Amino acid sequence: MTKPKAIVIGAGFTGVATAHDLALRGVDVTVVERGPLANGTSGRTHGLLHSGSRYAVNDKESAEECIQENMILRKIVPEAIEPNGGLFVGINESDLAYGEAFIEGNEACNIPIRELTKKEALELEPNLNPNLLAAFWVPDGTFDPLRLAMAFAATAQSNGAKFYLYTEVLELIQDGQGNVKGVRVLDRMTDKRTELYADVVVNATGAWAGQIAENVGAQVPVKPTPGVMVAYGKRLTHRVVNRLNKPGDGDIILPQRRMMVVGTTSYEVEDLDYVPVIEEQVDLMLTRGSELIPGLKEAPQRGAYTATRPLIGAGSSGRSIARTFKFFDHKESDGVDGLVTITGGKATTLRLMGEKTADVVVKKLGMDTPGRTAEVRLISYRYFVENQGRP
Amino acid sequence: MTTTARTDPHARSNFWKWFDAFRRAPGMWAYSLNRLSAIGLTVYLFLHLVVLRTLADGPQAYDDFVALVKSPVFVFGELVVVIGGVYHGLNGLRVALTAFGIGVPYQKHMFYAVLIITAVVSLVFGIHMFTA
Amino acid sequence: MAEKWTVTFLINRQKDGVEPHFESFQLEVNPDEYVLDAIERVWAFHDRSLLFRHACHHSTCGACGMRVNGVEKLTCITTIRSVTSDGGTVKVEPLRNFPVVGDLVVDMTRLYARMEMVKAPSVIPLDEAPKPDTSVFDIKPDHDAPDDMIRLVDCIECGMCVSACPVPLTTPEYLGPAVLAGAQHQGLEKNPSLLELVDGPNGVWRCHSAFECTAVCPSNVEPGWRIMDLRKQLVKKRFQRLFGRGG
Repeated sequence: MTKPKAIVIGAGFTGVATAHDLALRGVDVTVVERGPLANGTSGRTHGLLHSGSRYAVNDKESAEECIQENMILRKIVPEAIEPNGGLFVGINESDLAYGEAFIEGNEACNIPIRELTKKEALELEPNLNPNLLAAFWVPDGTFDPLRLAMAFAATAQSNGAKFYLYTEVLELIQDGQGNVKGVRVLDRMTDKRTELYADVVVNATGAWAGQIAENVGAQVPVKPTPGVMVAYGKRLTHRVVNRLNKPGDGDIILPQRRMMVVGTTSYEVEDLDYVPVIEEQVDLMLTRGSELIPGLKEAPQRGAYTATRPLIGAGSSGRSIARTFKFFDHKESDGVDGLVTITGGKATTLRLMGEKTADVVVKKLGMDTPGRTAEVRLISYRYFVENQGRP
Repeated sequence: MTTTARTDPHARSNFWKWFDAFRRAPGMWAYSLNRLSAIGLTVYLFLHLVVLRTLADGPQAYDDFVALVKSPVFVFGELVVVIGGVYHGLNGLRVALTAFGIGVPYQKHMFYAVLIITAVVSLVFGIHMFTA
Repeated sequence: MAEKWTVTFLINRQKDGVEPHFESFQLEVNPDEYVLDAIERVWAFHDRSLLFRHACHHSTCGACGMRVNGVEKLTCITTIRSVTSDGGTVKVEPLRNFPVVGDLVVDMTRLYARMEMVKAPSVIPLDEAPKPDTSVFDIKPDHDAPDDMIRLVDCIECGMCVSACPVPLTTPEYLGPAVLAGAQHQGLEKNPSLLELVDGPNGVWRCHSAFECTAVCPSNVEPGWRIMDLRKQLVKKRFQRLFGRGG
């Protein structure tokens, strides 16, 4: 009996999580990706394993998803995570005022936080700004982006998924009625073109989702929104440090290994394939970051780069599964069957995005297998075979 | 998948690639010079035996040989052997120590010490050899 | 204002059926940008067929290790200023001692498989560092991290140490610095089965003390020190066995 086939375009977090979920449910999955694993937005995440507190005030749905997935990821892929918690720190009066709403929001979302005295906060993190006014402990964490992606990919591979990296989709193959039947790809390693067919094609290209969908005249209102991140070569805290304010620029500082990453900003661009770093934004990260951790000023800059978030445009026609990410069944929205798009989202909710996507995909394939990725411990990321064969 | 038999794009024989110290750290220089001096000393040992063999050809052959090696070129050659031997021996001590986990954080310092001592000894020998 | 340099990038190109050769790309760069930024621009604006590995762009994933002017560098944190000057040339080649998949991409499977074989740890106690006298925190927090805090290990499995090591050139079976460091980190005590591997013909005794692994490691692993530490442990074990004190 042949398994139903799916092709996933994109091997970022969404792609690998979807492939993992589908493979677990017995679908024959092939992932095609024009570059290496997680080379787009996903690889560049600063790595915050969100507790959800950041969204508890004005995006409660997002916040609830985050805390749920945070707990799940700690269970299924601990080798890619620094699960040390985080702090929200208030430096000025306006931060202090935000504190009320912060407490309420977290309570409403069932995110376990703890208010700390100034003394307690400085005891936990001696390098914080000694003039801090307020602090809360939250269950944040840090994760290693490539290892997280590799772990999902390796597990998917172990359940039969095929990964073709350095394989670029040239166009979507359509039948006489305009429905998608597969993809025409260029194997960038051999310069050979070939065709791959499937029952469903999943467009998991994140910020590039609009470009892929355009192929068949479908609309995906994704608004690529880059932000800068700056890495410093010293580890100054045990835990994540956030600014206690409405989400804004430069209000997250993440430690991992022996460095810190400060992020981020938010602006729009046209060209996705290369987004240059803007010096003023790098300066802004240092300014904002050192308001929380003054020692950052003495730390050497180790790296600076941009990552482009796939934000969903307002007023889009797709059916949203959740506010943070959006699923588009192009049969419903554009009359093109055989193609679905999943985009938006946060790294922390990758598994959930994979699950929601797989739910709809398996339904389209006429199956009713439930997802169980929340219970399945991922295998070691080291088992991922990059060169599994060529298409 | 493309697999090249040699993993270097210039496709030189891997055999000689160990001598790759340019732009690299002191440890790599120490290792490369150790190998070079080892090769040099081995070649010298062979030559030395060949030369000693001339003893079997009688006193005249030996006298001729002694006259030859008093020439500056040969004296210089012998100095090179001394430098190589001193360096190899001293660095060998450094390798022996670090190989068993002694002084590893100071391996660079030890290398510099080896270089300095080699230079001093070479100078002393050089002066003696050319003014004897 | 940002400086502008003109730099020529000589990038290795090779694919199935295409012999390795260098292609030249002249770029206007800000010298404080990173080498990876230039490579990405070459791909984005000059030659879309370029194959290269990258993911995080902030030295946590280990994907972008390459040889820059003959020496291993993590290109996302290597400024152009540190490898050349205005009007200069930057040669970019893939890592050595790994099979080349194409252009600048190498196949890391063997490294990952060996790291798994020695069960090199992925996460460790937060304040653990290779040697007792080094600290994870450059500005010391006033006290140690609580016992239950963990962090990702220093080794990002980038393979640069394997590339820099002269031994795998002629002996690909040599486990290599990353793997031996991983084994030392895992601990012979915790995992006695490692003894055979590290004490074997392709283990620690193959090292020739070039210490280039430590020199190129972008992540504080100190594989050279760890290999010698393993030797110390092995010798101690041998003595103990010889003189019958268990071991």
